[in-house]
Amino acid sequence: MIGNEKRKVMLTLQDVSLSFQSDKGAFDRGVHHVLDSVSFKLYENETLGIIGRNGVGKTTMLRIMAGILAPTSGRVVSQRGKSASLLTIGLGHKADLSGRDNAMLSAMLQGATKKEALGYLEDIKEFSELGDSFEEQVKTYSSGMKSRLGFTTALLTHVDILLVDEVLSVGDAEFKKKAEQAMKERMGGDQTVVFVSHSDAQVASLCDRVIWIDSGKVCGQGAPEQVIAQYRESIHEKAQLKKKSLESAGA
Amino acid sequence: MTLRQYFSLIDVQARMLLKADNSKYKLGVLWWFLEPLLWVGVFYVVFNMILDSGRKGGDFILFLTCGKFAFIWFSKAVNQASGSIVASQGLIGKVNMPKSLWPMSAIQESLYRQAAIYLLLAIILILFGVYPSLSWLWMLPIAFVMYLMIVACGLIGACLVCILRDFQKLIPLGLTFLMFTSGLFWDVRKLDSQEKTEFLLAVNPLAFMLDAHRQVLMYGNSPDVFHLVLIGIVMTAVIAGMILFMARNSQYLALRALT
Repeated sequence: MIGNEKRKVMLTLQDVSLSFQSDKGAFDRGVHHVLDSVSFKLYENETLGIIGRNGVGKTTMLRIMAGILAPTSGRVVSQRGKSASLLTIGLGHKADLSGRDNAMLSAMLQGATKKEALGYLEDIKEFSELGDSFEEQVKTYSSGMKSRLGFTTALLTHVDILLVDEVLSVGDAEFKKKAEQAMKERMGGDQTVVFVSHSDAQVASLCDRVIWIDSGKVCGQGAPEQVIAQYRESIHEKAQLKKKSLESAGA
Repeated sequence: MTLRQYFSLIDVQARMLLKADNSKYKLGVLWWFLEPLLWVGVFYVVFNMILDSGRKGGDFILFLTCGKFAFIWFSKAVNQASGSIVASQGLIGKVNMPKSLWPMSAIQESLYRQAAIYLLLAIILILFGVYPSLSWLWMLPIAFVMYLMIVACGLIGACLVCILRDFQKLIPLGLTFLMFTSGLFWDVRKLDSQEKTEFLLAVNPLAFMLDAHRQVLMYGNSPDVFHLVLIGIVMTAVIAGMILFMARNSQYLALRALT
């Protein structure tokens, strides 16, 4: 994006790689390479989209950015005192507890004090549209209700860098719209956001800048339209290749 | 995260664990009392009715109750704490929290339960004609050192299981071994030689702690203060070491828990 050089850098990833030894695995003598020399910068107030197919290392990248995992090699430079929080639905719901108790726990695990968490509860109840079910055990919830609770609790956190992992695929069509709207408002403000999705339409409508990763490597970054076009092309090519190999196998 | 926030989170997590556990069973809170009582019943049948404990019935019930009620705190808490990091895998992949939070919450939960169990123990003692005396105040330092022991072992167990799941198989075995070697249903003071007693009390702090419970509650004696303080100091050092280890290797532990 134009003018990036002047904006404040919130987070820098330098040659970040992550691999781990699995106890039992045949790949490369049990070593899995999840990320391979990934470098990019995250600027203040921007909404950065990360696209890629399933299992290419998007979630791992967010975990590294949130400080949950450390890279095997490379560096993550963050600003002092800036908090980054990963927003995912279903932050470990306990089935035997009510929606209210779960919301309380989730809010505190995301860094809220007890007092703050108690203050959020009514808002969470209202936005999630759970009504009386809010007081009932989560094990009685439908999966849509669970994700509504999870999304709403996560939405109310206040952090410097918001790392969003596939949260917008929640609930029915109507709630989905409401969730997307709320997310847009959040992104439009002063919030710095990293948004992960495999839906390129969502990324195109929400993000200022996009990074495309495949097999743990950055394959492209820049303006959304441009990168998404590259991404689509590669998927198309792969499909073609697969088709060809199937045909030749058939022949 | 401030220290205050850390402890308030442990407290809330522990209460939620209790709440979730109580709502799971029909008898709810009653199980807090029923479970240790049933254990005492089982031991009584085996070691007094089938085998001969060499003690009178009532005396043996008190002997078992003091021992089992203390031991059950240790074994349940350490067992729960050991599996806690691995069990919270989902959360660990999402929030960057000190990894000690999970074992500490499990230990806090058991602390709340134990308060009720100690109360039941006092009632049983009174029912059997042992009335509270000033020497019962020794229970404060004894319970405190028990707590330190549980935290130390719980943190070690949680890290071991997180780093290598195979330890999960060994922990129940280790706890059973401790139960048999801590003088739960036999008296550590009535072994065939004095040296054996001293050796056992020296190498197995849990045997010393169970004996201390009985000395104070049943006989009104004071415990061996030097020994108690020594255990307290060693456990505090272990806890400090474990907290440091867990803080330095937080991301390594997260990776081990997730993969």
